[in-house]
Amino acid sequence: MYRSQTLAVKYFSAAIALFGVMTITGLIAAYYYINPDFLFGILPFSIAKILHINTLVIWLLMGFMGSIYWFLPGELGRETAGIWAAEILFYVFCAAVAVVAVVLIVFQYGGSNEAALWLINQGRKYVEAPRWAALGIVVIMVVFAYNVIGTAIAARKTTGIITVLMIDLIPLILLYLIAFPAISNMSADLFWWWWLVHLWVEATWEVLIGCIMALALMQLLGTSRRIVETWLYIEVALVLGTGILGLGHHYFWIGTPSYWLTIGGFFSALEPLPLLGMVVHAVYDAGAQHMKTTNRPALYWMMAEAFGNFIGAGVWGFMITLPQVNLYAHGTQWTVSHGHFAFWGAYSCGVISVLYLVLQRTRNLAIVDGSLWKWSFAALNLGLVGMTGALLVSGFVQAFVERAIGGSTLDAFISGQENAWFIDGMVARFLLAIVFTAGYVVLVWDVLTLGRRAPAVAAAAAAQ
Amino acid sequence: MSALATLEAGLLLGLYALLAGIWGVFWALAQLRKTPMYGRLAIAAYGLHVLAALTIILSTPLGFGWKSLIVVSSFAFLATPPMTWRFLRHTHQNGQAET
Repeated sequence: MYRSQTLAVKYFSAAIALFGVMTITGLIAAYYYINPDFLFGILPFSIAKILHINTLVIWLLMGFMGSIYWFLPGELGRETAGIWAAEILFYVFCAAVAVVAVVLIVFQYGGSNEAALWLINQGRKYVEAPRWAALGIVVIMVVFAYNVIGTAIAARKTTGIITVLMIDLIPLILLYLIAFPAISNMSADLFWWWWLVHLWVEATWEVLIGCIMALALMQLLGTSRRIVETWLYIEVALVLGTGILGLGHHYFWIGTPSYWLTIGGFFSALEPLPLLGMVVHAVYDAGAQHMKTTNRPALYWMMAEAFGNFIGAGVWGFMITLPQVNLYAHGTQWTVSHGHFAFWGAYSCGVISVLYLVLQRTRNLAIVDGSLWKWSFAALNLGLVGMTGALLVSGFVQAFVERAIGGSTLDAFISGQENAWFIDGMVARFLLAIVFTAGYVVLVWDVLTLGRRAPAVAAAAAAQ
Repeated sequence: MSALATLEAGLLLGLYALLAGIWGVFWALAQLRKTPMYGRLAIAAYGLHVLAALTIILSTPLGFGWKSLIVVSSFAFLATPPMTWRFLRHTHQNGQAET
């Protein structure tokens, strides 16, 4: 095994651990809606939410990096360039994440000064990590880009997938730099901040997961390179074509020119089309293989990715994307419902799929199957779909009672929060979050014991 | 838009996109399994999708431009599965020929 692949295993281990932190902090945050006094004076809702969202970003990022470190040497036929730096930075990354989490839990917030910005919290939603840690993320991403580009240069070769990946890493890093400026004009600040959030999630990350899924498809189903590369180009073009200007669907209530609302609504309304193409593609691939593979969990999670992406990003997004609806739905639990489903479908399922591919190789398993993965697959997906359904009900109440009828006043906000449907939705969300958590526990158990449980699955000669 | 119209429009738009997805899945399954049942289910799903589109056009206060987008999208949803399928077969046949 290449050192790069050993590093990939470490990244996946860290990613799954952070997936757990994300799940627990999400569970805590969900419980606050039922019992607002929970952990009063110890851990405020805002900190639980920061930890929940930031660990979501970091575990997925680590999953992506692990996937690339896994596939890169096989793709280019050599060890990853600068692997020693990547190995050191992995530990720096983990230590930095741990320190930031401890600071956020212990200190929670600082004063309105430079010291707090550098040491406690940068104060920008979703990228709250203090400035020293944000700088560290930039260094890690630059080294990661060097690993990919340097390997291609050293190997004197590239492939269509790696070329797309290399191009994608440049905006990925540049966009993160938006996390740094502290613009005092709120409208200007939010205008640029959405560039970071939206163009990471609906552009650069989409391309990244497209590259990873292309590499995974070749390993899982033996699909020819020509086919996956052709589809990668098409899907990247369609996703970017509809996704980039979809940026405007976030520009509500922050003082941006109103033409953005039409542009954003129009382009994001087109997003379900390429996602439907991906669903048809998934059905085709599954049918061509008759759902037979040596790694069923990887195949099922890959299928879940295509369907989850269409439903979470496509259907849930389409509900709220037209400006007339978005005006009222924006920032309610309705959008939270969409966010949960879309992240799960577009990214999480894909990372879990690659994780099972990696496990098959590292544990020398001829066949990966069993019952545990089915339980975790069912509980995680049932929990997630249930949570998004419950959040949708609560979101409807907010859009209807608080926004459309009440006119977004403080009284209307209270009316919305006290509405029985809103409360029931939040209780249901919490209960289904427990189901999701149970699915996570079973997933971890399966990952830890796969290939080590009796009866042992026939060992195969390790690839690589 | 009135409060109720907001909810109705949102739900209808979601249903519209979901039915398009169901149409796509059943259409693909019909090609795969060669079973008439899937073909009929695909047609039924697309019929319901058109019904959702008509309801959006006739009963929601969305503007003319957005309603036009709904009509055009319905045609695009109709064409996407067959086009994707044809291209998939084409690329897979070429890919197999190369290997």
